[in-house]
Amino acid sequence: MNQTETTHKLETDSKLVREYQYGFVTDVDTDELPKGLNEDIIRAISQKKNEPVWMTEWRLKSFRRWQTMREPRWAKVTYPEIDYQDIRYYSAPKSASSGAAQADPELLKTFERLGIPLYERDRLAGVAVDAVFDSVSVATTHREMLAEKGIIFCSMSEAIQEHPELVRKYLGSVVPPSDNFFAALNSAVFSDGSFCYIPKGVRCPVELSTYFRINARDTGQFERTLIVAEEDAYVSYIEGCTAPMRDTNQLHAAVVELVALDRAQIKYSTVQNWYAGDEKGHGGIYNFVTKRGHCRGAHSKISWTQVEVGAAITWKYPSVILEGDHSVGEFYSVAFTNNRMQADTGTKMIHIGAHTKSTIISKGISAGESANSYRGLVQILPSAQHARNHTCCDSMLIGDKCSANTYPVIEAETSTAITEHEATTSKISEEQLFYVQSRGIDEESATSLIVNGFCKDVFKELPLEFSVEAIKLLELKLEHSVG
Amino acid sequence: MTTAQLDPAVVMVPGFDESARPAAAEPDLITARREAAFKQYLELPMPTARDEEWRRTDPALIPFERFKPAEAPRRRAAPSGAGPWDDTFDVVVSVDDTGFEIRDNAGLLAQGGLTVQPLAEAAQRHPALIERYLQGPARVKHPRKFSALGDAFWRFGLFIHAPAKAIIPRGVLIRYTHAQSGRSVVPRLLAVVEDQAELTIAEHYESPDDAELLAITTRELYAGPGATLRAASLQEWGARTYHIGEDWVRAERDARIEWVTLLLGGQVSKMMVSCDVHEPNAQAYLSGLFFANRTQHVDQKTLQLHTAPNTYSNLLYKGAVKDQGHSVYQGIIDAAPGAIKVDAYQMNNNLILTEGARADSLPGLEIDADDLKCSHGATFGNLDQNQLFYLRARGLPEAEARQLLVMAFFEEVIARVPHEFMRERVREDVRRKCGDAA
Repeated sequence: MNQTETTHKLETDSKLVREYQYGFVTDVDTDELPKGLNEDIIRAISQKKNEPVWMTEWRLKSFRRWQTMREPRWAKVTYPEIDYQDIRYYSAPKSASSGAAQADPELLKTFERLGIPLYERDRLAGVAVDAVFDSVSVATTHREMLAEKGIIFCSMSEAIQEHPELVRKYLGSVVPPSDNFFAALNSAVFSDGSFCYIPKGVRCPVELSTYFRINARDTGQFERTLIVAEEDAYVSYIEGCTAPMRDTNQLHAAVVELVALDRAQIKYSTVQNWYAGDEKGHGGIYNFVTKRGHCRGAHSKISWTQVEVGAAITWKYPSVILEGDHSVGEFYSVAFTNNRMQADTGTKMIHIGAHTKSTIISKGISAGESANSYRGLVQILPSAQHARNHTCCDSMLIGDKCSANTYPVIEAETSTAITEHEATTSKISEEQLFYVQSRGIDEESATSLIVNGFCKDVFKELPLEFSVEAIKLLELKLEHSVG
Repeated sequence: MTTAQLDPAVVMVPGFDESARPAAAEPDLITARREAAFKQYLELPMPTARDEEWRRTDPALIPFERFKPAEAPRRRAAPSGAGPWDDTFDVVVSVDDTGFEIRDNAGLLAQGGLTVQPLAEAAQRHPALIERYLQGPARVKHPRKFSALGDAFWRFGLFIHAPAKAIIPRGVLIRYTHAQSGRSVVPRLLAVVEDQAELTIAEHYESPDDAELLAITTRELYAGPGATLRAASLQEWGARTYHIGEDWVRAERDARIEWVTLLLGGQVSKMMVSCDVHEPNAQAYLSGLFFANRTQHVDQKTLQLHTAPNTYSNLLYKGAVKDQGHSVYQGIIDAAPGAIKVDAYQMNNNLILTEGARADSLPGLEIDADDLKCSHGATFGNLDQNQLFYLRARGLPEAEARQLLVMAFFEEVIARVPHEFMRERVREDVRRKCGDAA
């Protein structure tokens, strides 16, 4: 390596550090189970969480089912074989406890650096937070205020202890353990996650938020989130994720289930910023997630908004089953890939009820040598009389080594439904770039501005503070991807 | 691998085994190609509904075991009866169960201005030319079961060649009329239009409703530098005919290809068109019209492959489904690395006219280059209620108003058909299908 190359390398290294500012490791004592996966490990996880027998059985059943399943390989992503025996399925900070006041100062510092308001401070006072560190939930804020309204917002482990009847009723009712390979794995080993229950007629006054952080080495994170909104209830839920920079890949296989009863509304927003690996494609998180909402009641509404800027590989299709008549499903997505990142993401809208409506807006941006695919299904069953769907998938390419793919499937089985789908793929417009640059704005800022405009339809769906964060994040990610 | 080790249920399409291979002596060139294709055919498994491509058209819908390969048609000495549109073409090829004939209406063949010959005969006369195209340079995908079958077992092969700068205004009509029940027909077409030449090819498939038939067709069309090739195929098979077709098209520098597929007949049709826009400034216009009523099943796949920079393609497929009809459209635009300044468009519109009918659409984009513009669209719905109201308010009975709107919907594709007789014929078919009670 000659002088210039060395300097260049140093530069890129520091650049990378700048690009992923959440890449630090927190030094905390952890309580871990050995690597590997078998029925004993599952029993041990269940025991550590002091779970009732039905839960242990549920896990074991899922595990047995998982053993008969094959890992899906249809997505347009490539990665080496995953050794499921080489993953640690449980890792918890020793000092973990449920109240912020008792939390380990190291942990608090971590969340402080990540900008998560664990103390109920006024800065982001409108948000109640549940934070998941590796395998366990470490703190849940704003609980009392929520409890007054009858809202339950706690970690999944607590919910299993304190509200077993609700958990038993809804867990696995939207994503059954047999749904797919990763859902089965998650059902067997899930360690924690958030549980959220909004009773009849209650409008959740604050935004609920979960923050996921992978810290320990060689662990997988398998969180399970369940949100139930009863009749006329409303909730807006935000999810964020980061992980330290490491040169090995880590697995994140989460399951999220949403249930909306009559006239209930759930808004689920995600800013996913897992560590994406370095520019050569070493390390990073494998983000294999199953997210599904079920509009069970009439006039219910589920809305997914996602900003995917991290993870080495993303495999994720937040979907809505529109069963109740007049129910509404929405999917707004920005997926950004750079370097060697691979994303295969999209949605499924299953129209069952009459007069159901769905909207899909997907914006994919690929830069570097990344691959970005949209994959979606719009299914209109014969019972979905007068169903309506509008889909728009746009892809933008920055650089000539990346790829953008679109694989939509539309199945229409009734003559009364109207469905339209449009998609475009193009390079970032030279004309627009020229226009902005001719007004004295440098190329990088110009690109950022145009990309921002491209994603506006999605960003405007995010809660305000999140929207600001997403725009900043995208700007940061775009740095050095131009030219 | 020898045939003895293979499980015939897995690799053989019933009826197409060693014994079905042509007995008559053929030029070595053809025999060698058949040999190679037969080997491929044996190596490829029989598709099942578990294969992505056949997921929506279960091969079990086609009763392969009921068909025996038809005899190769022989050249007829005396001309049989002429079809109604024959005099609007320069050359007419008609093929039926027992024979075929090539009629030279304008004396073009005699003058050498155009070649239309059985493939085996052409291989004898122009071995170098045939060898070049027999390998199938337009076949951009791996060997597939039914194209390998077609290559190994074709019964009627036709070679069309327009020499450089030849302008053939009225073109060639190929008419397939089959009526013998229980037979499978395997025609193969190879057409080459050389530099700056211009040619139109029209194909017409017909069979009576009571004849049970299987057609496995392979077509390859090449447009050389600056050439213009217009091709339209009108498929009006009877209600008990099954059709599996694979088409491969390639456009070279500055060439223009216009391709129209009109699918109206048959019980099950499984078609694939691959268009390789191969060199800079080549253009391809692909159009399709399909109408599945009663229990018809139509499955079409299109591939717009852009292997070179500065290439253009435009696809418009319009379909209607009625009664228990089911249509599947799958389209891919594939821009290879380096294929910059590409402009590709794909549109699929579907009319769902009655309850019970179903339409699936899978419009895909696979883009590996950056400086380009690719887009696709797909729509589904019934006739526009406002338009229907408008027409009815002017005194049109509902059935008539509906028919008018369906005609209007299809007219955009019909206008792209290069021959008036074919346009009229399609309009008639659409009108009839609109009025058809299930």
